[in-house]
Amino acid sequence: MKQTQIHNEQPPRRYGMAIDVDKCTGCGSCMVACFSENNVPFKQDETDKLLSITWMRVYQLTNGKTFPHTEVAYLPRPCQHCAGQHEGHSPCVSVCPATATDYSADTGIVSQIYTRCFGCRYCMGACPYHARYFNWWDPVWPDGMEKYLSPNVSPRMRGVVEKCSFCFHRYQMARDKAYTEGGRKVQEAEYQTACAQACPAGAIVFGDLNDPSHAVNQIVKPDAHNHYKSGNPRAFRLLERLGTNTKVYYLSSREWVRRSGDNYRADEQPGMPGAAAQHG
Amino acid sequence: MKLSRRCFLSFSIGGAVGTALSPLPWKLTDDLSIWSQNWPWTPVPPDGESTYVDSTCMLCPGHCGIRVRKIDQRAVKIEGQENTVLNPGGGVCLLGLSGLQLLYSPTRVKGPLRKIKDDKGLPKWESISWSLAIEEVAKQLMDLRAQGRSHTVASLVGQEDGTVPQLLKRLIKAYGSPHFYHMPSVEDTQGAVLSLSQGIDGFVGLDVENADYILSFGSALLDGFGSPLRMMRAINRLKEQKGTLVQIEPRLSNTAAKADLWLAAKPGTEADLALGMAHVLINQRRFNEDFIYNHTEGFELFAVMVRNSYTPEAVAVTTGIDAATITQTALAFAAAKRPLAIFGHGKGQAPGSMREAAAVNALNALVGNINRPGGLHAMPAYDYIDWPAPFLDGIAYAGFNAKRVDGSGTPSVHRFFEAVDAAPEKLQLLMIAEANPSYSLTGCGKIKQAIKKIPFVVSFSSFMDETAMQADLILPNHLYLERWEDIPMRAGAVRQTVGLCRPVVAPQQNTQHLGDTVIQIAKALKGTVAQSFPWDNYYACLKQTMGNQWQDMNAKGAWEKEPAVVSPEPGFKTESGKLVMMNEPLKKILGAIVPAPEGDEKKFPLQLVAYDSIRLSSGYIGNPPFMNKVLPDTVLKGNEGFVELNPETAGKLGLAEGQSAILTTPHGQVKVRVHLNHGIMPGLLAMARGLGHTAYDGYLSGKGVNTNELIGPVEDPASGLDAAWGIQAILAKA
Amino acid sequence: MDSALIPEGVKRCALWKFLLGLAVVGGVLVWGIIAMLLCWIKGLNQTNMNDYYGFALWIWADLAVIALGGGAFFSGLLKYVFGKDDLKNIINYAVLIGFICYSSALLILAIDVGQPLRSWFIFWHANVHSMLTEVAFCLSCYFAVLTIEYIPLILENRQIDKVPFFHNLGHNMHSTMAIFAATGAFLSFFHQGSLGGVAGVLFGRPFAYRESILNTIWPYTFFLFTWSAAAYGPSFTLFITWLTEKITRKKLVKNNTIYLLAKISGWMILTYIIAKSADTLYWVYQTAPAKGFNWDFFFQNNALYGKWILFVEIIVCGFVPGLLLVFKSSRENSFLRVAATFLGIIGVSLNRWVMVLQTMAAPVMPFDTWQLYIPSWQEVATTILPVAYGVILIMISYRYLPIFPQERELNPVEGADPDHAHAAAPHIGHEATVA
Ligand SMILES: Nc1nc2c(c(=O)[nH]1)N[C@H]1C(S)=C(S)[C@@H](COP(=O)(O)OP(=O)(O)OC[C@H]3O[C@@H](n4cnc5c(=O)[nH]c(N)nc54)[C@H](O)[C@@H]3O)O[C@H]1N2
Ligand SMILES: Nc1nc2c(c(=O)[nH]1)N[C@H]1C(S)=C(S)[C@@H](COP(=O)(O)OP(=O)(O)OC[C@H]3O[C@@H](n4cnc5c(=O)[nH]c(N)nc54)[C@H](O)[C@@H]3O)O[C@H]1N2
Ligand code: SF4
Ligand code: SF4
Ligand code: SF4
Ligand code: SF4
Ligand code: SF4
Ligand SMILES: [Mo]
Repeated sequence: MKQTQIHNEQPPRRYGMAIDVDKCTGCGSCMVACFSENNVPFKQDETDKLLSITWMRVYQLTNGKTFPHTEVAYLPRPCQHCAGQHEGHSPCVSVCPATATDYSADTGIVSQIYTRCFGCRYCMGACPYHARYFNWWDPVWPDGMEKYLSPNVSPRMRGVVEKCSFCFHRYQMARDKAYTEGGRKVQEAEYQTACAQACPAGAIVFGDLNDPSHAVNQIVKPDAHNHYKSGNPRAFRLLERLGTNTKVYYLSSREWVRRSGDNYRADEQPGMPGAAAQHG
Repeated sequence: MKLSRRCFLSFSIGGAVGTALSPLPWKLTDDLSIWSQNWPWTPVPPDGESTYVDSTCMLCPGHCGIRVRKIDQRAVKIEGQENTVLNPGGGVCLLGLSGLQLLYSPTRVKGPLRKIKDDKGLPKWESISWSLAIEEVAKQLMDLRAQGRSHTVASLVGQEDGTVPQLLKRLIKAYGSPHFYHMPSVEDTQGAVLSLSQGIDGFVGLDVENADYILSFGSALLDGFGSPLRMMRAINRLKEQKGTLVQIEPRLSNTAAKADLWLAAKPGTEADLALGMAHVLINQRRFNEDFIYNHTEGFELFAVMVRNSYTPEAVAVTTGIDAATITQTALAFAAAKRPLAIFGHGKGQAPGSMREAAAVNALNALVGNINRPGGLHAMPAYDYIDWPAPFLDGIAYAGFNAKRVDGSGTPSVHRFFEAVDAAPEKLQLLMIAEANPSYSLTGCGKIKQAIKKIPFVVSFSSFMDETAMQADLILPNHLYLERWEDIPMRAGAVRQTVGLCRPVVAPQQNTQHLGDTVIQIAKALKGTVAQSFPWDNYYACLKQTMGNQWQDMNAKGAWEKEPAVVSPEPGFKTESGKLVMMNEPLKKILGAIVPAPEGDEKKFPLQLVAYDSIRLSSGYIGNPPFMNKVLPDTVLKGNEGFVELNPETAGKLGLAEGQSAILTTPHGQVKVRVHLNHGIMPGLLAMARGLGHTAYDGYLSGKGVNTNELIGPVEDPASGLDAAWGIQAILAKA
Repeated sequence: MDSALIPEGVKRCALWKFLLGLAVVGGVLVWGIIAMLLCWIKGLNQTNMNDYYGFALWIWADLAVIALGGGAFFSGLLKYVFGKDDLKNIINYAVLIGFICYSSALLILAIDVGQPLRSWFIFWHANVHSMLTEVAFCLSCYFAVLTIEYIPLILENRQIDKVPFFHNLGHNMHSTMAIFAATGAFLSFFHQGSLGGVAGVLFGRPFAYRESILNTIWPYTFFLFTWSAAAYGPSFTLFITWLTEKITRKKLVKNNTIYLLAKISGWMILTYIIAKSADTLYWVYQTAPAKGFNWDFFFQNNALYGKWILFVEIIVCGFVPGLLLVFKSSRENSFLRVAATFLGIIGVSLNRWVMVLQTMAAPVMPFDTWQLYIPSWQEVATTILPVAYGVILIMISYRYLPIFPQERELNPVEGADPDHAHAAAPHIGHEATVA
């Protein structure tokens, strides 16, 4: 993996999200915000969800009970920007043979370089969150619609993998601006992802998990000495037990929702997962 | 020279080795990969100067403030404005985000079109110039006027507020017809009840931001009701501040899922439930005595009615909600500081039952939360458009005062089309703006049939929607991102606010502002009609109308009327100055027999309801591709739509998840697939509203089923508007 | 007509029969090529793969043929490094089968990637942490070794051998073969292992994930894959040899060689399956539970994946063939031996299937569901393509090259001149002196 330099003057940033499942209404605006921000293509038929590129995907969870005790909740799933058990050992980054996806030690963002990716799809097999999508087709915009494409994000060609980038181009723009203004820090409000910005319910909070002045840090209260486990009892991460060490935290006051975030053996008590597995 | 085998072999091998060692294959390999990174058929968006333009979203009644990012002349992204009076919380919904897919859609009408017949006598579209198009409409209108049949002209708009619909309304009046209609919505019913109980001609404001207990009678607060973003934020604030949301509806909608209490009352019994709760409040004297005794009239009559007929026990039988729950909920509602009961099913696209609206209104009155923080507000109608009355010549006067084809009483679009269908000669010309009745009205099959009978139909649609397809002439309006327009906020707003829609990009097609089109038609009609339109163009009209407000509005993107000084008196405009709890008309409404859903229960043992989803745009705007992309595969799979039902019901019918089935209602039969959902009342079928388009392109057309083709209107005995909540149906294995 | 090309002293079928056979298999080949071109020109939308099934049928085939081609490196190792000289009589064929398997594997990979024109980025932008990088490097290198091992065989063609340059080249290559065989064995060890590592390192996929020995980068599957290729590869060589004998209706390799290889394969299988069982038990009791899974979650008896898989893989296709080949009586019973090799082939293929497809099918997020996939015809055709190609290469090689050194001895052709035959004998003798 490419070694990315840590910024000299500042501590490394660790961009992440806190998504309040209890606030999320399942409206799907985050998904569409992402499509329109990131030039995500679409087809006439998008009903086969295994072939539908959705960097952000909102899953429906249910408590499995019968009428009228049924409950549902919605869980938006961007790329989790996994850090792994040692920084940069993301499930996907560690396996990409061509270094087409990389972990930035400077931001914690897992990147994807479309023009380098040669489409082996190993990273997709590695990602337990199904956050990676393959361009099975050439992207085609109906005549005239290519006009709305943003120049900040390259449209992808057929045969490569793409995924949520935490709107990295927005970071680049904010960083460049901060740099020209005397190399100051990128402000919390200057770099927000399209999904967080759009969410009508205010369910997504985005920022630097390492910066105590950022709301996401205050909500998550990550423990840097314990794989950034959250100190908030409402918080959980998806499949935390796999040791993926993700940067997307979910919040819920409902026990069944929190339990839906990970796998538990039949004999396990709720809320007492085993230690995250070690691996090389 | 004879080439020996040995020589040949050496030569070939030598050649191969030589080529491999030369730079050629390496260069080729590299070039090929570079080519694969620059495929000419993968678009490369041109870069340019990045700017932002603020405007107002017009894709739903929410009218959020939007910021559009542009690269040179291209709009590339729609975002929510952060600090605007239109949507103070920021954000933008998925429909608003998809606006550019509408702007740049290839199915937009490219310019004025006239329907002609081709060699084989089949209809086809012909492009014409704008002057010819205006001439053509004017000629048709003048001919009818000359024949003294100006009253056989009608116009239908999406909604009536704002200068553009008002210009059209003015045209119809000055021309000489009483037939000006808008698409029905819950606001019609809310307004009617407001007028009856408070004597106010206006709209209902819902102070959801300050309520601490919300009792929602099936309103899709989190799925697009009213002003969708405002509702979403208000509900989240409610939850954060430990307020209570009670959702009454038979299906676990997203709102019900977020509610603290979900009461799955049998559909159509919501009014009974409200009156049952009123019974509890009155019986246990938990109503607001100060308000009731000082500010209402007819309370005793009302109390007698609910005491006699709506005991919790009786209501429990009707609604399926047990008496204890009814009682507890009613008491909790009354115990709240700022309780608010909300009427209007789903997104509120159908007017709904007057009886239910009146019952919900009574609940709000009982807790006295009317025109107070967190309560129901009577909002006076917008009055900033103060044009002088149009000039009416003799024809106009006679025509305007002619009897409407749908009879007297509230103008009803459904009744109008029924009348046209029955007596087509009564309507010669229809002009339709920002509405798609052939798709979005219940019983749209019949509507389509009626429109077919109208000799001349003019559409102002920018899209080739179902109704535009039926038109004889299309004079396409600019899209909201290409035009100026004032947008008065209703949709439950508690402060009069007029948003400004401003052009973000130059018109992408040969379209024309509807305001200009109307002014040009008026001028072409000459005489008093032309005199009634003194403006050079629409922009001048808008500026003049907004007057002193224009500058401010242009700067801020919206104009917000100063809130009225809060007086201790609720300020009812009834004769007595009091809120009417009960009088003759209300007694009739509350005592009316509930219109039963259409269909014979024996033949159609199940009930079908249409539900609203924020992921489906079901009105004039067709679902853009991005929104179809986020539809769950349990709503649409391939081109097949789903009907939801409880696994218990499915078991009885022998249906399994995903299986194909035939759904039949008195209005038609369709093939569907079934989705089993524990969150829906047994015996009920539910289908998402907003699919089944037949117009547009392959991204929308032919996908799923239009519920309006399966569910017909049911006339409310009081308002005459559509009060259908569903229909009897039968589902069988395919 | 082509008799001048056919090795001396052996009998081959009539040319028309040969060509007819070629045409039939060629038809299948063309079908596969059409599918391959569709995948290249129109893209991978021609397959039924999807975002849950990024690896599917042909990746399984890829892994399976590499495992089955393991006979080449392992017999090479045994012969050249451990001096099992008897194996010289089957080594040519093992090399040929290996060559076919590995070239097929590379072809499949070239079809599988979304951007084949950029596939060299795997070397240029190599990520040394990736098992796939290791696979790519070792696979390519080992394929080069196999080619080097195969070339002398081609040079032994009667006509080519007549050219002194090629004669000498072949001779010299033979004498260095031990070095290549050893290199090949070393490379194979790594790429067979790294193929196992491909699945084993997926710590996001609890079904495939395996801990690593002493916290190295290599998970247990790394070693299990190498071991199983060494165990089952020779079984495949034996089975194909048997099949070739049946089709040609000739005995081609003497029994002592067959028994030796069968015995070695048997012991390898038996020891492998014991290790595999231990690995499975560790996974059942340690790995899966630590990630929150009961092992039987992954064997839910849905349409494709049930507990039967474990039984078939470990008992029926593991212990049974292992024991059958270990015991002399069953090993030397032709029916039982062939049955055992066949079961072995099924077993290792099933193992690769499970490690690829079951890994993809099983949900990991609790709110996800099992996904079962059915390949498209293009995938099936492209997967069969290498089989057709292999058959054709075997047909041609068998007809024109002296693959089986014992063929003449075992099938004397009437009227042939034994002295002449001796003079033209293949250069097996040279190898023997080196070893
Ligand atoms: N989503 C997304 N991901 C991408 C890309 C994209 O467009 N979108 N682009 C890809 C491409 S092309 C690239 S090149 C990479 C870039 O990715 P990175 O290589 O991670 O680039 P930077 O973020 O610029 O990080 C460079 C670091 O070097 C530090 N630095 C600057 N000057 C010096 C110096 O003199 N000495 C030292 N020691 N450090 C210094 C900077 O402070 C900064 O922390 O990102 C790739 N990833
Ligand atoms: N402000 C700022 N400047 C930078 C950097 C930064 O971080 N910030 N990073 C520097 C670095 S490291 C790099 S590598 C460069 C990158 O700079 P550029 O090479 O300019 O990279 P991009 O802006 O990502 O992409 C260039 C254009 O290629 C288009 N494009 C995408 N895919 C294709 C394709 O398949 N074919 C063709 N023909 N065009 C395509 C994109 O739409 C975009 O318009 O920028 C450098 N300059
Ligand atoms: S936009 Fe917000 S509320 Fe809507 S689905 Fe996404 S996270 Fe949930
Ligand atoms: S969520 Fe998936 S794609 Fe994203 S970093 Fe983790 S493993 Fe990689
Ligand atoms: S598909 Fe692309 S990003 Fe993923 S592993 Fe392969 S080369 Fe890397
Ligand atoms: S962070 Fe950006 S790229 Fe990721 S899901 Fe949100 S909008 Fe999409
Ligand atoms: S809620 Fe309505 S007005 Fe607001 S962005 Fe969405 S569609 Fe536009
Ligand atoms: Mo770069």
